[in-house]
Amino acid sequence: MKTSARAFLVATLVAAPAFAQQAAEVIGHIQNVQGVVSIQRGGTTLSGAAGAVLYRGDLVRTGTPGAAGIVLTDDTSISQGSGSELSLDDYAFEPKEGKFALVLRMIKGTFSYITGQIVKLAPESAHVHTPDATIAVRGTKLLIQIQE
Amino acid sequence: MANRQSIWARYSSGLAGLMLIVVGGCASRSIILVPDPLGHVGRAEVSTSAGKQLLEKPGDMTRISGSSNPPSAVTTAAPAFIAATFGEALAVEPAPPQIFILMFEAGATILTAQSQEMIAAIVTAIERRSAISVSISGHTDATGSDKLNDLLALERAQQVKALLLQQGIKPELISVTSHGKGNPAIATPDGVPEPRNRRVVVIVH
Repeated sequence: MKTSARAFLVATLVAAPAFAQQAAEVIGHIQNVQGVVSIQRGGTTLSGAAGAVLYRGDLVRTGTPGAAGIVLTDDTSISQGSGSELSLDDYAFEPKEGKFALVLRMIKGTFSYITGQIVKLAPESAHVHTPDATIAVRGTKLLIQIQE
Repeated sequence: MANRQSIWARYSSGLAGLMLIVVGGCASRSIILVPDPLGHVGRAEVSTSAGKQLLEKPGDMTRISGSSNPPSAVTTAAPAFIAATFGEALAVEPAPPQIFILMFEAGATILTAQSQEMIAAIVTAIERRSAISVSISGHTDATGSDKLNDLLALERAQQVKALLLQQGIKPELISVTSHGKGNPAIATPDGVPEPRNRRVVVIVH
């Protein structure tokens, strides 16, 4: 019992800094906002003002009316119209380590998506998921409509 | 009674019509390829579990009607449809970034004279756009020791940050990274010297 408690404590101590570092990585910003925009991060909902930072796993939601323009650190640009939901499921932009990931989940609404450096450097690591389709992109701009 | 039945018949046929409209609404899932801000048109492959469709030309559109159906044959999206459907999203599209490329004296953290003059242009861009982020990345070519190259690239990027701070740019706007040889301007095999890859890139959003 004592040993397992200690093992758990050690595991927590080892895991915690790695997790904290990962969670603290800013992956982008909200650049433009119209109407109501919110960010769902874990269990909390924050107001999505212009300049708000974004983290991996964030869900950006626009009200009706509402619209948001987002820029990620690799210059990926995503803007969304009223009643839209976008989840930033996965993201990694570390050219030095050759580590790239961009997984966007467009749940509903209207989107304009302009690819950035991740798609230029590692197109196979970038995916867009919609409720019933997957999109693989080679450097371009796409418009995506998901009406419920 | 007969009257009541006919009302119900009319109501139910109306309901069927309404359901058709709703079903039609559900099917309104479309993906359209358009030129990017530089006029470049790439490619996109749209897949469901039943098939896939390739979008290659500007305006190419496919419609999705459920994951168990293949994406529709490619049609061309009407500009009026694009404007009506995506007007809101397009109106808040972030402006394309301004990108500055700075070169250094060989092996040193001293900017070339030409690149020194670019610092003022970067400051002007940050102020004019009310920028929300300024990313500074150091880059190397694919020769020499990765470790030393990365260190030099990072020192150069830090040097550019110091120059921007001197000009009164707020530190919280700025992020600094080294991309090493992983994001070259000109792709080369390992071991090939390429001075144009030894640079610092400043991206103002």
